[in-house]
Amino acid sequence: MMTRKRIRIITSKILLNLFFVISCAMALLPILYALSISFTKDASLLSKDFSFVPKHFTLDNYKAVFTEEPVPLWFWNSIFLAFMTICLSLSTAVPAAYIFSRWKFPGRKGILKALLLLYSFPSILSMFAIYKMMSSLHLINTRIGIIIIYAGTMSVFALWNMKGYFDTIPVEIEEAAKIDGCSDYIIVLKIVTPLARPSLIVTATMVLNFVWNEYIFSINFLTGSKNETLASGLYSLQATEMSGSWPVFAAAAILVSLPVLVIFFFSQKYMTSGLTSGGVKG
Amino acid sequence: MNKKNLRKKTLIAYAASAPALILIASIVVFPIIYTLYISLTNMNTYHWFNYEIIGLKNYQRALTVFDSGFFSALLTTILWTVVNIVIQLIIAFVVANLLNSPLLKHQKRLYETILMFPWAMPGYVSILLWKTGMFNTQFGLLNNWVQKLGLEPQRWLSSDISAFLCCTVVNLWLALPFMIMIMDGGLKSIDKCLYESATIDGAGKLKQAMVVTIPCLKPIIGPSVVITIFTTFKTFDVIYLMVLQTGAQTGAHIQTIITYAYENAFITNNYGYSSAISIIIFIMLIAFSVVTSRRKNDDA
Repeated sequence: MMTRKRIRIITSKILLNLFFVISCAMALLPILYALSISFTKDASLLSKDFSFVPKHFTLDNYKAVFTEEPVPLWFWNSIFLAFMTICLSLSTAVPAAYIFSRWKFPGRKGILKALLLLYSFPSILSMFAIYKMMSSLHLINTRIGIIIIYAGTMSVFALWNMKGYFDTIPVEIEEAAKIDGCSDYIIVLKIVTPLARPSLIVTATMVLNFVWNEYIFSINFLTGSKNETLASGLYSLQATEMSGSWPVFAAAAILVSLPVLVIFFFSQKYMTSGLTSGGVKG
Repeated sequence: MNKKNLRKKTLIAYAASAPALILIASIVVFPIIYTLYISLTNMNTYHWFNYEIIGLKNYQRALTVFDSGFFSALLTTILWTVVNIVIQLIIAFVVANLLNSPLLKHQKRLYETILMFPWAMPGYVSILLWKTGMFNTQFGLLNNWVQKLGLEPQRWLSSDISAFLCCTVVNLWLALPFMIMIMDGGLKSIDKCLYESATIDGAGKLKQAMVVTIPCLKPIIGPSVVITIFTTFKTFDVIYLMVLQTGAQTGAHIQTIITYAYENAFITNNYGYSSAISIIIFIMLIAFSVVTSRRKNDDA
């Protein structure tokens, strides 16, 4: 009797692990395929004997990414746009979020509700109107134009997200500081901002992710190879779909994804950290 | 005195939030109003500046002309949403339950981390990798395997049904990690005592899932499921990048309402008509969120 039960447990253990090994293989399949292609020498991939471990290992495709394609320029453009967008959207959204979280004033509830509704509106639907507006302001094909668009789109999210986090920071901390004689300015700078750091990091990461992955606005609003970002550059690279360019595209795709993967697994720690829970004892 | 104080406070509040509100008003609110205005005109390539107001004709064309394309796009979108959400919920439920099995010990973290990868990858990169890496007719991995089995290579994205299924696979691949994570978190928060008392009452595993797991999970995962329904309904990237890319259409004619609006604005340049579609979609989204938020209030 005993052995039969044990056999049943062992078989279900094996089946369970088999299930997860297959699931994980499926989750990684396109990524692993691209990874192995990016290291493969022979571009004639039509050969039927493809294997996940490249037979003719090479770094040529990665070299080509940096020499034949303007990927460093794309990197720089994306970083510049992301940095400026984060600065603009957070510097405007954070004070507003703090005010909306702490103060009660007429119009507050209405605006918050309206913002929530606007958040469900995909910006791609008003893209043409934005285009027409920007072109009459002569902001098409300028970086400042696209930065304003990105920041405006993400401000709605940033405001709501930061407001939600400020709501969880107990007012008692600020009241205590006030009794100790701190001014409002010092309270926000020295007490609230450090406490809100995890949320600031998460919000900034989301904005970064958005800009890093955004291609549809940038292919329509920023034409010309000088302005291409990683997303729009990669998009145009795969549009010339030939078997020869596919390994280079795979290499570029891996390179573009790496920083995002690192940031994702790094910021996961912050996403779950409950920094405020230690702030008030009781 | 108190009134004066309030007025001063209101003034400061608006002054401090003005930059954000002005930014949002000019980039989000104004374009929506402007879209509403364009939707009432006949603006297109020939009438870029000298357009006229034509009233509700664009709406009439979208809603009453049956082969305008809007209805088929709407039907596709609804089918797409239902299929994706149902499969997602089922697979995520099974996977999350298996992840919480007591038979898995230290491997659990490894599996969890690997299963999160599709979520961590930049979405458009994944879609392009699926398109060129997996489904490509000449050098895609799928055809590589098909040929190994001695079959003819397939053109995966060229017919509607096959392209729809391929896009569904890609979308599930992209969306499942989030759903699994939500379900996993929900399962962990269920009180273990409930299972014990269910066992004492003589409930089997399946009965336990029906009586304990699903009812307990519902309120926890509800908001995330609603968000996912919205995102799936608003799908653009998967369909556009897989089959509709400008100059690289694969031959399938599947459109979601968003790709339909995009195509009419930036490919066929029917700006007025496209704006009308946008406004109709916006009204539908507002109606959805009103209904879902009311349901939420009822529950509370």
